[in-house]
Amino acid sequence: MKERLKEAMEILKKKGVEYADARRVRQLNEVLVMKNGELETASVMESEGFGIRVLHGRAWGFSSSSDLSPESVAAVTEQALDIAKASARVGEPKVLLDGQETVVDTYETRVGENPFDVPLPDKLAILASACDGMGKTPEVKISTASMMSFLTEKLFVSTEGSEIEQRITETGGGIAATAMDGGERQTRSYPASFRGDYATAGFEFTRSLALPDHAERTGREAAELLRADECPSRKTTVIIGGTQLALQVHESCGHPIELDRVFGTEASYAGTSFLTVDKLADLQYGSGIVNIVADATCEGGLGTFGYDDEGVPAQATDIVREGVFTGYLMSRETAPRIGLRSNGTMRADGWNRIPLVRMTNVNLLPGEGTLEDLIADTKDGMFVDSNKSWSIDQRRLNFQFGCEIAWEIKDGKLGRLLKNPVYTGLTPEFWGACDAIAGPEEWHIWGIPSCGKGEPGQTAHVGHGVSPSRFRNVEVGVKK
Amino acid sequence: MMDRAQQMTLLTGALAGSPADETELVAYSTTSSLTRFANSLIHQNVHEDDNFITARVALGKRIGVTSTNRADADGLAAAIERATAIANESPEQPDFPGLPQALEATQVPSYSEKTARMTPEARADAVGKVVGVARAEGLKASGAYRVGTHSLAIVNSSGMRQHYDATDANLSVFAVDDDDVSGSMSGYAVDLGDIDAEAVARTAVQKCRAAAAPVSIEPEAIDVILEPRATAEIMSWLSFTSFGAKQIHEGQSFMTDRIGERLMGRNVTIYDDGLDPAGIPIPFDFEGVPKKRVMLIENGIAMGAVHDTTTAEKDGVESTGHAGMAVFRGGPGPSNLFIGAGSDTMDDLLSSVKRGLLVTCFHYINGLLDTRKALFTGMTRDGTFLIEDGKITTAVKNLRFTDSMLRAYSNVDGVTRNVDGVTRERQTVGQSWGAIGSTTAPTVLVRDFRFTGSTEF
Repeated sequence: MKERLKEAMEILKKKGVEYADARRVRQLNEVLVMKNGELETASVMESEGFGIRVLHGRAWGFSSSSDLSPESVAAVTEQALDIAKASARVGEPKVLLDGQETVVDTYETRVGENPFDVPLPDKLAILASACDGMGKTPEVKISTASMMSFLTEKLFVSTEGSEIEQRITETGGGIAATAMDGGERQTRSYPASFRGDYATAGFEFTRSLALPDHAERTGREAAELLRADECPSRKTTVIIGGTQLALQVHESCGHPIELDRVFGTEASYAGTSFLTVDKLADLQYGSGIVNIVADATCEGGLGTFGYDDEGVPAQATDIVREGVFTGYLMSRETAPRIGLRSNGTMRADGWNRIPLVRMTNVNLLPGEGTLEDLIADTKDGMFVDSNKSWSIDQRRLNFQFGCEIAWEIKDGKLGRLLKNPVYTGLTPEFWGACDAIAGPEEWHIWGIPSCGKGEPGQTAHVGHGVSPSRFRNVEVGVKK
Repeated sequence: MMDRAQQMTLLTGALAGSPADETELVAYSTTSSLTRFANSLIHQNVHEDDNFITARVALGKRIGVTSTNRADADGLAAAIERATAIANESPEQPDFPGLPQALEATQVPSYSEKTARMTPEARADAVGKVVGVARAEGLKASGAYRVGTHSLAIVNSSGMRQHYDATDANLSVFAVDDDDVSGSMSGYAVDLGDIDAEAVARTAVQKCRAAAAPVSIEPEAIDVILEPRATAEIMSWLSFTSFGAKQIHEGQSFMTDRIGERLMGRNVTIYDDGLDPAGIPIPFDFEGVPKKRVMLIENGIAMGAVHDTTTAEKDGVESTGHAGMAVFRGGPGPSNLFIGAGSDTMDDLLSSVKRGLLVTCFHYINGLLDTRKALFTGMTRDGTFLIEDGKITTAVKNLRFTDSMLRAYSNVDGVTRNVDGVTRERQTVGQSWGAIGSTTAPTVLVRDFRFTGSTEF
């Protein structure tokens, strides 16, 4: 297949295109879901195909097919060029790419235990044990345990001579206990909500989550939430736990720093960004202790890879330094528009999608101390964790998050349990009120395998390294 | 993309070679072409051609499911072998009722040759017209024009043989001014000839112009007129959280233990009708079971949910033909949803509002805050307007709502009548999740809708 795609690149060069690349991708995904000890889903999905992207007349065209035959490659090559020509029929397109080194290389996730070699009964035994543990609490009516494994094999070639092969393995899982009493329903999850935590790693990562060991506590907490007091509405100090803070970073920092979004290419769907280019190196995004880095090279991060889908090496970029907004996630097309070069963030969800600017591992760097230290240092407030709902406006300013659980903090100690916590704010105001970030001992890269963007829809796997952090004057609850 | 004959030859051939007790094979072949534009230029222009084939096998009540896009005998045989291996190593699924018997499905007008044959040049020219409408008003245009062809074939070892071809076309247009104020409109149809690109663009432009120089207002409980796309997005989330039998069984749905109770206003009726060509008709589901018309909410009373064969067995009823793809196991869900029309015009609704808001559409609704209460939050976008004494007086900056949709839809005080075409009184909107299917919604007047936050634009 590599030779066929290289031949396509040569044909396109002879036809005078400015640039073209081709990707052949094979994906294998396994999904296992057990509910109340019964297997709900055991499925393996395989998808393979190729896509060709052409820049001609300073406009883009892309075509793709699951048919890998020579005839199909020839037809898709022609079609991609025809589509680029059609794109140039509207207005005066002006796409220019930055200069990049030609790369011939391979990359592979470091894997201890290949997840696709682990016998199915072994995996199901872990899930069944976790369901048993959660089910020991009588109020728990639904115990869900799940795990997913992903293998992605990618070949990239371009008219610039790059040839890159990558093999990326991702694994993870999670559990959720839903307790019910009359019309009341509460869910508690571990290690994170919405299917758990994921990493670029082998099955050793899934085993390290020790899902059965956390099942009984998870079930008990779900039941305790049924009897908990409703979270009051007020302005207060909030300490946000790692799993929720990861999503906070994702929505209020990760998405607005996508430079394609800043330039309006997502305006018609997911929205734009308040972080317009005039704010670069100028806007006080957060308080002086807030430092955020986008780093695609972190070992194990779900947003870790060797090269992006434009053949640009994975790298780290300062996004917020001492509170000041300093950088974007960029592509070869968007970076030159602000006088920079791509920082390797273009990724596509499979062979039939074009690469878009996507998050890598957008990490809030650690401060110091433990979560216990943070709580001990807080006179009055709340500790919230585990996302339940999320919503943010189309420029990523006004957000509202619901969480699974909260505890009151009084005089440096955790107090009563609170259910249905919701907090809301405006992004720069919120990050400006961050006055403490816990240290490296609390820091973890949370893997989110479900970041949506683009039309047709694409799902990216991204990571967020965070440690629990404290924010002052946060609006908690919902105004009546 | 495989055609009907190719699909049926491949599937029936593979079915004969399956070693399992029961086997179901589904081939969903698609082409999708999408031209996306922003800042009045085409910036993404893509085409894909794929075959998504699933194999569900049963060894007694032990089930294995796989999918592949290898559309040849060896690829499908490998998928069946893998599914059988999964089933062999899996515990029983006691709820599995067996695969459905062969059933006849009604033919529906789901295919348009014109849509199937649309070229990249024709899409670009349609986008050019949209851009021209915006440019004439000094605005930039963004949006997307997508056309798709779908060929779905289902065979199983109980004799099921189903097939249908479909097309759909979806145009969304956002007009944007120099201050980044936007207005939007969309059109969705089986036949792209039913979408007047320039008319869609003109509505987006009018919205954008009217939305200029918005003023801030304090969030409060206030009367609100929700245009069809705003209503459709709420219904899409209710479909996800509540309208399927699985959500009822798992205690997630607002209808759990409340069937027969009045949960919304007497003037609210919600139903799913896969065969109604006023939406996007689909004759059968992913198990091959023909679609039935299902009343979900009738005059405010919770009537029931949609089923697949598994949930139907559990409730002792027949499947309503709403199964999803076996590989995803999300449970049954509506596919061609309708909110019943009333008798009002837009002017009727406006004139009955002393002080309120008109909402064009919502952004980023989330319906997971409390699914039993249907507690939702979301932001307004693309044109939010203040109504005073029955007239729109100014645009307002976007607001966040947080409210129970049971409370809100118990306070409905006006629903627009049925009208044809893409209008602000009634519109068919594609499903939020990208699957084929639709929601057809009127404009509704809701009293005392709770806004709880604001933003800077």
